[in-house]
Amino acid sequence: MSDSGTGSTDGSTNESTDEPTDGTGGVFADATQVAGTGGVMIELEGVDKFFGDFQALKDINLKVGTQEVVVVIGPSGSGKSTMIRCINRLEQHDAGRIVIDGTELSEDIRNIQAIRRETGMVFQSFNLFPHLSVLENITIAPRQVRKMPRAEAEALAHELLTQVKIPEQANKYPGQLSGGQQQRVAIARALAMRPKVMLFDEPTSALDPEMIGEVLDTMQALAEEGMTMICVTHEMGFARNVADRVLFMADGEVVEVGTAEHFFTDPQEERTKLFLSQIL
Amino acid sequence: MSAPVRDRGPRASTAPLAWARRHLFRNARDTAITVVTGLALAFLVFRTVRFLLFSGRWEIVRVNLRLYLYGRYPDDELWRLAVTVVVIAATGGLIAGIVARRTRAAAVKAGAHVPHPALSVRLGELVQRLWPLLVLVVLVLALTRTITPTLVTVATIGAAAVGRLVGGALPTRATFLGFALPAVLPFVLLPFLTSAQGWDDWGGLMLTLLLASVSMIACFPLGLLLALGRRSGLPAVRFIGVGVIEFFRGVPLVVLVLMSDVALGFFFPQSLLPGKVTRVIIAFTIFTAAYVAEIVRGGLQSVPRGQTEAAQALGLSPFRVTGWIVLPQALRNVIPALVGQFISLFKDTTLVFVIGFLDVLSVADAVTKQSQFDLSNFAEATAFAALLFWVGSYTLSRESQRLEKRLGVGTR
Repeated sequence: MSDSGTGSTDGSTNESTDEPTDGTGGVFADATQVAGTGGVMIELEGVDKFFGDFQALKDINLKVGTQEVVVVIGPSGSGKSTMIRCINRLEQHDAGRIVIDGTELSEDIRNIQAIRRETGMVFQSFNLFPHLSVLENITIAPRQVRKMPRAEAEALAHELLTQVKIPEQANKYPGQLSGGQQQRVAIARALAMRPKVMLFDEPTSALDPEMIGEVLDTMQALAEEGMTMICVTHEMGFARNVADRVLFMADGEVVEVGTAEHFFTDPQEERTKLFLSQIL
Repeated sequence: MSAPVRDRGPRASTAPLAWARRHLFRNARDTAITVVTGLALAFLVFRTVRFLLFSGRWEIVRVNLRLYLYGRYPDDELWRLAVTVVVIAATGGLIAGIVARRTRAAAVKAGAHVPHPALSVRLGELVQRLWPLLVLVVLVLALTRTITPTLVTVATIGAAAVGRLVGGALPTRATFLGFALPAVLPFVLLPFLTSAQGWDDWGGLMLTLLLASVSMIACFPLGLLLALGRRSGLPAVRFIGVGVIEFFRGVPLVVLVLMSDVALGFFFPQSLLPGKVTRVIIAFTIFTAAYVAEIVRGGLQSVPRGQTEAAQALGLSPFRVTGWIVLPQALRNVIPALVGQFISLFKDTTLVFVIGFLDVLSVADAVTKQSQFDLSNFAEATAFAALLFWVGSYTLSRESQRLEKRLGVGTR
């Protein structure tokens, strides 16, 4: 969604009060300033999360606009993964509100499933189902959850496999694929539910270096088609090419928000500078 | 290699001789061990062969073959047994055919090269697979005096072959038969058999197989429920699961067998109790289910958390996450342990001798008390019973290994 990022700079369609101070180096006042042109897709308000006594998330406030791409960076243990896992309730937040496309996440299992249907997730370790073929991995959710007829689901699966550029692997099993191919199948599997939001939890961290490119290309293509995305990743090249905003998190807090360019050229906070010096 | 190399004659014999010298007679200690174990082994083999072929008085097995195989099932109704065996063989063949066709179709679809082995090769593989069973059948037939058992055997093999051919040719939409037939058959065949003689009066291998197969089939779903119950988020369900599992694992099976026969009568009026075979089957079922539950629980724990999370993230309901994603992987991982439990159950059915059932082992014991035989014949009588159990257990074990291979345990 790089073009919506430029859309925000001319300011012609934005609500004037939320206008980011983008022209002065890509800094955003806080994480609730949306870079996109449309409405708000994801909203986190005062979200806390504890693991025992350890506070993993501290008063997180974040808005993600429709068709916006947000990249989250930060040291390990900073709460990046926990944050996006709270969005589809793989973790339960302890305080605050999480609203996806106008629906607030609640205790109700039906509400949780409704939100999970609209949110695709891609994991660091792929988590493909090893006992199912690639085709079955992709069709299982549409068939079981959306009650799609088999033929239609398989047609959709083939279409998605073509989209992630591995149409020839449909009848293989995950164990027969390379890491990069597996992760692309995982993306296709998530897309099969036609989600409104895609969450990526370090999708390239478990990959051999030569396979990272193919997965990032797939993600970039997805972003260019207008998918709303939150990506936890340290691929700053990807952030520069694709992200509308980059969030830097540390110790369960959002420390700094800005464009990728801002982080390359003019990071403000000490912790941000330290972290960037380690990964760049 | 301290031994001097001497001339060993023709070249063909040097290789094994050199091997023997290196591995069996390397030095004085090795030589001593080889000689001692060799003598012991030779003695054992000699005694075994002598027992099997010369000194053993197998008359006791030959005369009582019927008791061993089907107890006191009425002679006039034996055709029911024959029909049952033929029907089971045909169904088995049919399922094998359906499975083979599906496996093949899946492999072809995945683009694998699927060879067409010649019929002789495939028959050879089948013989290799089932040789203990075949040896047993040949042995039993050799002990019979009439032609009828042989004819039934031929019909059985023929039925299996026909079933296999039909199953292999059935269209995809008939695949449901592979599930439906085995599910329906017990409800047809058991009344068919019991209409001639209630199963409380069954005996021999027929009783043993009844006890083992019904318990195996029934304990699996029960064990599954217990395992899932033990992991349930609902405290009441979890409590019941843990309670049943821990109680029945803590009681010796023989106690349960005795209780099923006698003690239940103290708690419930006789008119409310099912028949004694039914009661003992329930005892076997619950006991084995408790073990199956723990095996399955281990399997459930072996499935990585990421699998559940990925399935949840797709919006699958908790029920479907378990049924489609976690359980299939869990069960695949525990096939060896499950089959071990089933083999154990198969052999444990002999415990019914304590409540006077005429199962294979009890037959072996009873026939030595016939007037023309005595306890000096006990070895022959029990050896045959042991053979029946060994063939069953070994075949189960081999088939499970085959299933593991087919499901790609450890590779996928």
